[in-house]
Amino acid sequence: MKPIEIIGVDVSYGAKKILEEISFHADKGEILGIIGPNGSGKTTLLKAMTRVVARDCGEILLESHDLDTLGHRELARRVAVVPQDISIGFDYTVRDIVMMGRHPHIGRLASETARDVEICEHAMRLANVAHLVDTSVHDISGGERQRVLIARALAQEPEILLLDEATSNLDVSHQVEILNIIRGLTGRITVISVFHDLNLAAYYCDRLLLLKERKVYAIGAPADVLTCENIREIFGMETLVRPHPLTGRPYVLPVYMQTTDVGVNRRVHVICGGGTGSDILYLLRAAGFTVTCGVLNVLDTDYGTSMHLGISTVAEPPFHGITTASLAAARKWLDRADAIVVTAMPIGPGNLDNLRVLLDYPGKPIIIYAGNGSARMEDYTGGEADAVLAEIETRGALRVEGAEDLIALLSKGQFGRE
Amino acid sequence: MRRTAPLIILALICALLISVGCAVTLGPAGIPIKTLLSSPTTLMIFWDVRLPRVITAALVGCGLAVAGTAMQGLFRNPMADPYIIGTSSGGALGATIAIVLFAGNGRPVLAFLGAMAATFTVYFIARSGGKIPVETLLLSGVALSTLLSALLSFLMYTAGRSLHQIMFWLMGGFWNVSWNDFFIALPILMGCGGVYLFARDLNVLSLNEEDAIHLGVNVEQVKGILLALSAFVTGIAVAVAGSIGFVGLITPHLMRLIVGPDHRVLIPAAALAGAILLVWSDTLTRTFTNDMPVGIITACFGAPFFIYLLRSRMKA
Repeated sequence: MKPIEIIGVDVSYGAKKILEEISFHADKGEILGIIGPNGSGKTTLLKAMTRVVARDCGEILLESHDLDTLGHRELARRVAVVPQDISIGFDYTVRDIVMMGRHPHIGRLASETARDVEICEHAMRLANVAHLVDTSVHDISGGERQRVLIARALAQEPEILLLDEATSNLDVSHQVEILNIIRGLTGRITVISVFHDLNLAAYYCDRLLLLKERKVYAIGAPADVLTCENIREIFGMETLVRPHPLTGRPYVLPVYMQTTDVGVNRRVHVICGGGTGSDILYLLRAAGFTVTCGVLNVLDTDYGTSMHLGISTVAEPPFHGITTASLAAARKWLDRADAIVVTAMPIGPGNLDNLRVLLDYPGKPIIIYAGNGSARMEDYTGGEADAVLAEIETRGALRVEGAEDLIALLSKGQFGRE
Repeated sequence: MRRTAPLIILALICALLISVGCAVTLGPAGIPIKTLLSSPTTLMIFWDVRLPRVITAALVGCGLAVAGTAMQGLFRNPMADPYIIGTSSGGALGATIAIVLFAGNGRPVLAFLGAMAATFTVYFIARSGGKIPVETLLLSGVALSTLLSALLSFLMYTAGRSLHQIMFWLMGGFWNVSWNDFFIALPILMGCGGVYLFARDLNVLSLNEEDAIHLGVNVEQVKGILLALSAFVTGIAVAVAGSIGFVGLITPHLMRLIVGPDHRVLIPAAALAGAILLVWSDTLTRTFTNDMPVGIITACFGAPFFIYLLRSRMKA
């Protein structure tokens, strides 16, 4: 028996279809996130679950009970909603607002009992607003007001908690504080929440439901739903999806640059490491260059970037020096490259060969890229790296500082086409 | 609910009793309470003239204040009141029709029907997308009131000898009020009691309609019932005392400042304060202004208050 099951639901406003053939369920005690672009019907889907909007067809079952057979009060005892942010016109205290959560439990002729008071106090402690109890809702911050609304929803003692972008208008610290409170409830309460922020959704949800143009596009674990392909398809945007360094959850990084074709049919080999090459690896790809990379160690940040970008990369296992086999592989790419870019990476005995090998390519254009100008190469080889670098420079290697200058230089005709 | 609430209610009850006590001893005849009860003539003035008049004024004030409180909560709009949104005009037209066409028979019934029709008309005109914005509410109230007063003027024009009686409805007052009128006004208490049963619903509704649904309120049903109860109470008040404005606007405001917005306290507090307000207004007019219509008094301090509210809302 599922806490909530939605079967083939359609909703329209007038002649306009908002949701079509929506079917899914939530498992007991999970957090199910609803994501999707603006206008994909996320909020309407929540409204259908509380009968604020009517369905054209389909069924919604709450623990196998048809939603339509439940009375208003019965429904409010099972399902509570935390709205986005409501303006409260009258000067109620926090206690008044939270006690309104008991409304569906108290009969018309009855008044609140000691138990109701106890439940409200417990809800306020859970939502961390107990200290505000006698404060007017006009005198508290937006984050506090959202927590008050969570306390009110908890006072309803619901089986299902619906959140409609309940944290969207708040600072990131308040968002995290509130979502941690919600996370702490799971197991007891099933939570379905609309999220605007994909990364918050990825971290806090057990499963995600992705809506696209009125329909369910994907549903499943965050790692399965939040893929580059899905995000490109739904939001029309290029992103990198990486595991979050601390949580291991998928983390979506938007890629803000527009793609061009200035580098089409030009081949660039990038020698980098320690994260110094990530930006240009991406920028070169976005500009249409054919990019190769190496030698890098697996687990290097630049290795991760090149893998995400689908760049051919020569790699060694972690913390491993460069073997002759790898160097031979790298030479193959170097032979074919129209230009070679070296980033301002730290150089030690482990990657010195990456630099030395360049001495064998006196005829190739070599560009030493210093990122935004602040990074300089750290020499951990006792002067050997600096010597090699000096030699390369005397042979005509150019130093370039900004990414735009680098792309402009590489796009020039003097770097021949393949 | 604030802890001081029961004390304030108690204080208001005492104030109402004292007000009624003062009001029955004050008047153009200037009879002190001791002599009032001693001779048959003065006893008659007390029993048949002053007492029904004062108690009826209290009932009407109570009714208008409760109707105003309900409407302000219902529309989430502190500018709402039965006079402004046209309920009173509808009631006055109903009463006028009864006077002109049926020689005054069925006055309360027609006043009630008129009040009801006007209220729901304004409600449906002002409503857009499930909300009732302040501006449209006030404007549709004004528009409908204009139409209703045109109809009223037409009736007055054709009425001839009932003209004086009709003028009475337009200005509102308690002269000629008898025990009979008191009994007509008595169901106001029932209406107010009915509104009080929805006090908690009003609390929830005063947040936001969608929120009220989430908290288990059958919003459409509750709105319908509360509008009907407000129209019922206002209709009776108008049938008895004509259209007296601004009591329903001011009283809930003042009481909200004192007892807070919780309708479980606000409704009884507004009911008592509305009664006190109208008892004193009536006493003032019959003692000092030669029984000028009391509606003039309430409008004199009500309208500036309304303008003040409008200005402070515009700043906010």
